[in-house]
Amino acid sequence: MKYLKLVILLILISLTGCRIDYDIEEVATPEYLGEIHEHDNVHAETEDNHEHVTDETEVCPVCGDIHDQEHVNEHDSTTISASSRHVHDAGERNHGTEWFFNQPWAAKFIWGKMIRDSIILIILAVAILLASRFRLRKKR
Amino acid sequence: MKPVMTFALMTLRNLLRRRTIWGISIVILLALFGLGQIPGYGISNEGRFILDFGLFGLEIGALLLAIGLAANIYPRDKEQKTVMPLIAVPLSRGQYLMGRFIGAAMVQAAAMLVGCIGLMVILLMNGLNIPVDLFPATCLLLVEGWFLLAVVFFFSFWTSPPLNAPLTVLLFILSQMSVSGFINILPGAQGFMRFLRLLLPHMDVFHIKDPIAHGVGIPGIYFLLAALYGLAYMAFMLSLALAVFRSRDLK
Amino acid sequence: MNIARLVKNIKLAIVEKDGKESNMTDVPVKVDNLEKTFRKSLGFSSFKAVDSLSFQVNNGEILGFLGPNGAGKTTTIKCILGLLKPTSGNVLLWNDFPASGSVRMRIGYVPENPDYEDIFTPLEFMTMFSSMRKLDISKDQMISILGRVGLEEWVNVRIRNFSKGMKQRMSLSLALQSKPELLIMDEPTGGLDPAARKEFRDVILEENSRGATIFLSSHLLSEVETICDRAVILAKGKKVTEGNLDDLLRTEDMFSISFTVHGAETDMPENKKVTSADLQKTIDELRKNGQNILEVKPVYRSLEEVFLSATSGGKL
Repeated sequence: MKYLKLVILLILISLTGCRIDYDIEEVATPEYLGEIHEHDNVHAETEDNHEHVTDETEVCPVCGDIHDQEHVNEHDSTTISASSRHVHDAGERNHGTEWFFNQPWAAKFIWGKMIRDSIILIILAVAILLASRFRLRKKR
Repeated sequence: MKPVMTFALMTLRNLLRRRTIWGISIVILLALFGLGQIPGYGISNEGRFILDFGLFGLEIGALLLAIGLAANIYPRDKEQKTVMPLIAVPLSRGQYLMGRFIGAAMVQAAAMLVGCIGLMVILLMNGLNIPVDLFPATCLLLVEGWFLLAVVFFFSFWTSPPLNAPLTVLLFILSQMSVSGFINILPGAQGFMRFLRLLLPHMDVFHIKDPIAHGVGIPGIYFLLAALYGLAYMAFMLSLALAVFRSRDLK
Repeated sequence: MNIARLVKNIKLAIVEKDGKESNMTDVPVKVDNLEKTFRKSLGFSSFKAVDSLSFQVNNGEILGFLGPNGAGKTTTIKCILGLLKPTSGNVLLWNDFPASGSVRMRIGYVPENPDYEDIFTPLEFMTMFSSMRKLDISKDQMISILGRVGLEEWVNVRIRNFSKGMKQRMSLSLALQSKPELLIMDEPTGGLDPAARKEFRDVILEENSRGATIFLSSHLLSEVETICDRAVILAKGKKVTEGNLDDLLRTEDMFSISFTVHGAETDMPENKKVTSADLQKTIDELRKNGQNILEVKPVYRSLEEVFLSATSGGKL
């Protein structure tokens, strides 16, 4: 019985596994993924692969943005922060957490998931509180 | 609520007298002001650099403060036996936990606010604009700090302080990892690693320093929902902490 | 034994009888078959601190809870307060479980070797405690309570400057603050000087005469003998004896005859101890010899004798 409770708890927590992360492939629409895969041979998903040197007007294969010379310099640097290795103009999509901010489908997905996760967590919290209170009364 | 708030204020007064807390806060502030003195990567990137590292500093500060504030509260109360007269009569275990938590959360909120103001001052001193999202982003980092505080309290009821800190830092690091990144640690057991990752909180929702540094507009609803997620996870961790505390004997 | 205690025992018996008729279970403390085992060495060995302990504290009485070191007194008190959970058995306070909010509001607790967050002053602590207990007490009332335990000149001094005895006084003042119905005291006078002990005793008696039930765990047998109505004696986690102090102290069959010797130079009475079997015979003999019998009374032992006899398994 004790272990059954633990298993139920683990399953419920895992339900709240909010996938707000860099795994675009897990949540993106097929159309969006299609766009990415077309460029797979030139640009890997991780930021660390930005070793290439781009021309002044090169189009970024992932985001489709036009990068300037500054971008090139950033890529060459080895001492700068991860977020700055791939620089876009303000308002443009960047690689990293913020990729969903200007993707309507992603935003919808994320908002719904966050609300659902929050509700599950609150229900779990209340259930644990009540169960531990019941156990306390029973024991003492 | 009155007993909890009274005890929270008592905790606040007690924590403010601890040198550790002031030490951590001073180091964070010095680091922030140090940022303003670093040339960055050129004039055009300076604001981005300060924001990026400033917010990162605040996040690390929230983690250190959570550990510094809470890791030792309960073990110390237990060792000095100050917890006995409190729990025997005026407070329930839940009220004790909430009082201690709220007191520590108030200190953390004050520290983060000071940190945010410090960052704003540095930006202004360097002739840069303050992004509108800086304050909401700090609030989100504060929610992350409160969540970490709940984690530290949870660990403090069943581990010793020297073990509490590394466990919290480990959780902090693992919770930042993406699902795929986490699975790649042990690619041979994908299903297990995915399940394990889903059990952990997703603290990447609090990471908006990059978009802010790059001037990406963040929808207001995102701040609200991320805060809701963080607070819900915090409530969950506190309920777990209370369940552990309720099952503990106070010898 | 003194008359006051006798009168009080009669009153308690009446209250108990009435209580039994109205609500048998509504006693301040009822411990039923309590057992508490502590695990040691990663759970590979265990230690039974309290074993099959049953007793109750009746309304309005002062119960002495005695036992040698390690007998399980503090463990029992912690079970009563809900700080420890029993391995088996039940502890009920007014028929409710110990950690419930309504129960906590009715009790006062004076811990053994109390310690408090030392950055506060007694007055600040009193203010915070009263707020936590939702009591409506003015500052003057708080100072008056602190004065009752001899801390009137220390109300604004930080606790870090306090001695062990002063912390104990403060602990008592915090317990008195809510005018508790049940006052649980665990070795309250351990670190006190004789004068302070007397003050503590007086406060306990005042509280008891106000109507509070007192549960007093103490090593100081003279103290228990002076103020308690009943006593429970523990040894190695088990109850070895329990009863009214009069009954416990009275020897089963020894009587003391006080008489004046006919023709003696002084009027000072002489005493003679006899067994109940020989009592009548001795009285007759004394009368026959023309002695004037002043008093015949049962012989009382000291509580120390009772305690040592009980805790050594009757070997003494």
